[in-house]
Amino acid sequence: MRQIHLTVNNEKYQVYCPEHITLLTLLREHLHLTGTKEGCAAGECGACTVIFNGKAANACMVLAPEANGAVVETIEGEAKDGVLSPLQQSFIEHHALQCGFCTPGMIMSARALLDANPAPTRDEIKEAMEGNLCRCTGYEPIITAIEQAAGGERGA
Amino acid sequence: MREYIGKGALRHDGIEKVTGQAEYLGDIKLNGMLYAKIKTSPYAHAQIVSIDTSKAEALPGVRAVLTGRDENVMVGLYMVDRWAMAAEKTRYYGEVVAAVAADTQEIADRAAELIEIEYMPLPPVLDVREAVKASSPQVHENSEVYDYIKGVFHPEPGRNIANRTKVRKGDVDAAFLRADVVIEHTYEQPQVFHLPLEPHGTIVQWGAGDKVKIHTSAQSPFAVRDLFAHGFQLPRSKVEVNVPYVGGGFGGKAGIHMEPLVGMLSKRCGGRPVKLIPTREEECATFPCRQGLVARVKTGATKDGKIIAEEVEYLWDGGAYADYGVNISRAGAVTACGPYDIENVKVDSVTVYTNKIFGTAYRGFGHPEVFFGIERQRDLLAKELGMCPVELRLKNLLMPGAHTITGELITEHTGRVDKCLKMVAEKLNVGQDYTPEEKAEFQKTGKYRAKAAAVLQKSPAMPTWSASSAVVHMNEDGTVHITVGGVDFGQGTYTVLQQIAAERLQIPIEKIVMAPGVNTDMSPYDWQTVASRMTVLCGNAVCEACDDLTEQLLEMGSIVLRASKHEVALGDECVYVKQNPQYSMPYSKICMGYTYENGNAIGGPIIGRGKSIAQGLTNLDPETGQGKTALDWTYGAHAIEIEVDTHTGDIRVVDMASCLDVGRVMNEAMVHGQMIGGVLQGLGTTFSEAVYYDGEGRLLTRNLTDYKIATFKDMPEKLEICCVETPQLDGPYGARGIGEHPLIAITAVIANALANATGAEMYDLPLSADRVRAALAKE
Amino acid sequence: MYQFLSPKTIGEAKEHLAEKSNLKVLAGGTDLIIGLRDGAVHCDYIMDIKHIPELCEIGMTDDGLEVGAGVSLNAMLASGLCTGRYAALADSGHELANSLLRNRATLAGNICHASPGGDMLAPVLVLDAWVETLTPNGGRKIPLKDFFTGVKRHVLAADEMVVKTVFPRGDGTSAYHKKKRIRGHDLAQVGVAGSYAADGTLKLAFGAAGPTPVLIELGVFDPLALRAAREEILDKAMSGISPISDVRASKEHRLAMARYLAGDVLDALLEKVGV
Repeated sequence: MRQIHLTVNNEKYQVYCPEHITLLTLLREHLHLTGTKEGCAAGECGACTVIFNGKAANACMVLAPEANGAVVETIEGEAKDGVLSPLQQSFIEHHALQCGFCTPGMIMSARALLDANPAPTRDEIKEAMEGNLCRCTGYEPIITAIEQAAGGERGA
Repeated sequence: MREYIGKGALRHDGIEKVTGQAEYLGDIKLNGMLYAKIKTSPYAHAQIVSIDTSKAEALPGVRAVLTGRDENVMVGLYMVDRWAMAAEKTRYYGEVVAAVAADTQEIADRAAELIEIEYMPLPPVLDVREAVKASSPQVHENSEVYDYIKGVFHPEPGRNIANRTKVRKGDVDAAFLRADVVIEHTYEQPQVFHLPLEPHGTIVQWGAGDKVKIHTSAQSPFAVRDLFAHGFQLPRSKVEVNVPYVGGGFGGKAGIHMEPLVGMLSKRCGGRPVKLIPTREEECATFPCRQGLVARVKTGATKDGKIIAEEVEYLWDGGAYADYGVNISRAGAVTACGPYDIENVKVDSVTVYTNKIFGTAYRGFGHPEVFFGIERQRDLLAKELGMCPVELRLKNLLMPGAHTITGELITEHTGRVDKCLKMVAEKLNVGQDYTPEEKAEFQKTGKYRAKAAAVLQKSPAMPTWSASSAVVHMNEDGTVHITVGGVDFGQGTYTVLQQIAAERLQIPIEKIVMAPGVNTDMSPYDWQTVASRMTVLCGNAVCEACDDLTEQLLEMGSIVLRASKHEVALGDECVYVKQNPQYSMPYSKICMGYTYENGNAIGGPIIGRGKSIAQGLTNLDPETGQGKTALDWTYGAHAIEIEVDTHTGDIRVVDMASCLDVGRVMNEAMVHGQMIGGVLQGLGTTFSEAVYYDGEGRLLTRNLTDYKIATFKDMPEKLEICCVETPQLDGPYGARGIGEHPLIAITAVIANALANATGAEMYDLPLSADRVRAALAKE
Repeated sequence: MYQFLSPKTIGEAKEHLAEKSNLKVLAGGTDLIIGLRDGAVHCDYIMDIKHIPELCEIGMTDDGLEVGAGVSLNAMLASGLCTGRYAALADSGHELANSLLRNRATLAGNICHASPGGDMLAPVLVLDAWVETLTPNGGRKIPLKDFFTGVKRHVLAADEMVVKTVFPRGDGTSAYHKKKRIRGHDLAQVGVAGSYAADGTLKLAFGAAGPTPVLIELGVFDPLALRAAREEILDKAMSGISPISDVRASKEHRLAMARYLAGDVLDALLEKVGV
């Protein structure tokens, strides 16, 4: 067991957990933040995407002890004070989700992209989002949602 | 009147899903919950000689270890042929042989490793063409004892044949003699994974008094209840199935899966809840997939392009169990020749057992597979006749007045495949040749472009008695809750039902709420959420429930307003007197009963109930296959332009148009969502998706590294979605189902375009660069 | 189960290497964590090197381009240093996995995983790169052409770790082209890197075309001679590779694509030098 201090969605946590678990398990099983999903546990699907020290990362590809001292953002932190972010709003408005299982990861990848590049091109969106698989939407509505959110966030 | 149908509404569950609040099976934790792990077979076909569980049982924290020899149960939706665990022999790589429940997942995983199993390998049956022969080793030695739906399926015990559905129409032999042209080809397709992002998780608590509570990631809560109760001989009333948000299914979460096994583990553990979340590797190896297909198609036509005879043999690679997948051979027989008017037809559609992962429902239920061969065959026939393939199709398509191969009459309300085809062909200018400059460029670069078009059809494949129901509750403030027994696992059914209720009741859609998830103790019955049947059947049930609610509102209103029922009407969420609309009563005053000034009260909570069942369907005649199986036919067409890199075999989708005759667009963005998503899934099946085994039947494509689905970078460069609207008279507001259809015939339209671009005729899938290049090399 | 170590200095890391046996180095972890999960890797210690500042640096020195073992591929790509002579690193960096994984994955990790299809391996061979290692007794410099010994095998000792990868200075250009089953994230069916130094030295290297990445040193060509000798060069290159069939591609396709990509790489190199 190991003590880990980390900040998740601006809240500080101190957790005792086994050393061999991943950040994904830490978030889901120890912090009960189940918005981050497990789709493959092998870095192939992106369902567990979080923002780890400012960069989008598969939470299944980070060992829990690596998160000691880290700043993590998850889907639970995207809406502020009960108000959806423009990105979340845009996902709903453009039907950028169906079953919703990939959606938290999609939104976190898109969030990291927009934080780094407020006006991404279509190709830049594809490049940034390639690691997030969706079996339902065909991706097109997700691209639209991100483009529109980018426009909206820039305008704001 | 406000319009809620058409442009549509935003998803009913959008907020829950974009915030991560939507609770999926894996997110559920119960007090005292244990964790399960399955132990699977490393052999495709083997006798189980011995199982030693002693080391696993000795591990601290292990609460139960179960093998097929301790306790077992047989399940199956149509063909009851599948044990919860292999007991005597294993029939596919990945089959469950034993299972563990323990205090933590880590302990369960470790315990599963400690189970020692000795196998005696048997020769695996891996090729359907060999498996179907009488001389083949048997996958199931005593299949004659299996229970199945008699009169619907026709197994041939003693051989690896779980079902043979025959269609006989006219006289094919005579027609082939008469034909000017006869062509025959064999088309082959591998198995394909469903690959929902969320695995098939299950939690079961087998409590005292045999009261069983199941939480499961399933498309069909009532089918799970039914099959579970049937398997364990429990009354339906003792089995409760709760389905939370479901992360995609594509058919793979229909029927029943690990619920019986996990139930037995829970029973062993004194009724503690047991949770099983399969790994992605287990999802691939252990859970069912889409069947493979070997299709032999022989077609006869006159020289002016009229198809007069077609003989089809479909060998479905059903894998180790027929369970649910056995109905695919029946569905494949009904649709065997596509939406064409053909006088003389002979079809044999056969489910074949092999030692592979077993097949089940997959988006399209046999149609994407059938249409690869059928729509390839149409282009090949056109080539043989020197005709334009679009013209050939138009000459033979089903039009009002024609009969399907099973004898169903097509009317002007059935839908118009010809309009779909013309629309997409025009959008892409299919048939228009490239300019000499363009052709010179193709030659220079080695990158050749070509276009093609193909048509599709599908009707729901389901029992004739497949039914839905809905309950509409009005709350104290006049808002409305709807409960149904079908699941919205992303396809958008609930949003459409919400729209239907808003339209029917003329209540703002924001005031209509779909109860999230389904619980069989609380939700009304629905057979299964499959077959693109929900908008039609559940939609009709919601219409009826809303009408029932309306009647009750009118009745209460007429009493309270002291008017006859015919003198009152509904509007603005009130009952009012038609002649004097100022006399009105808001719903909120009457929907829980009305209270007079002196305290007297009448009425009570208003609840509408509705039901629907497929009308007028029949079983097929066992010898001729004649009968009516279609609740509704949805037709469609795709046109495509591709570019083939002849150096590498890579195919790029340059442009595409897809069209369905949807009956009525209920929610435009959702129709587009289904179609864009379905097309991309079809492109995956075309280019990269295939389940591979080694020579011993061991699975090679075990995870998302080995098995590739389309990513953001694999989208078509252009895709236009369009709809034809020929109303389905008995569909709600004219709608028909569209969820499965977009991916049908995608494989064929691309293979046809490939042939047009390069001359390479491909008869098997996938059209991976590897295989395309090899085919080009042969040219 | 392992114990997790997180040294802050090279000295601490050295001590761990000296004292702890059965230790695995964690850089990006994108291969290691999968290995741990699949049970393919068992170790008693995992040493995360990302908190050692020197190992997280990338820059040009007198030796050339130096990439610390803890630098993520996306950081490497963002450095703006993968141009000119090092252009193949940008090509392969963008081809490796996907952007999410590249936020974690490292060059050194890809090298030390030594999977024959690793996208960074062919480029490091054609660029004459070496790794500098740390051992309890100091360390050494290992040319990468002498590094790979088999499928996921290399010459590092059990108590040795890579601290940086160095790409010698030089003028010229390089490129990496890859074939995969889909346009999105996939392992290479085959990958080909080429470098064309200012003095005319031409090298090709192939990934996923044998048990180790294969370097083919082709000699010195002026651009016109290179163009003229294109087919000869390809013949020579092809004689050095021995791919297999697997779920990603048949041996035949790998051979055909190796030649095709090698030709493509040669054309790209020529285009870059303006011929």
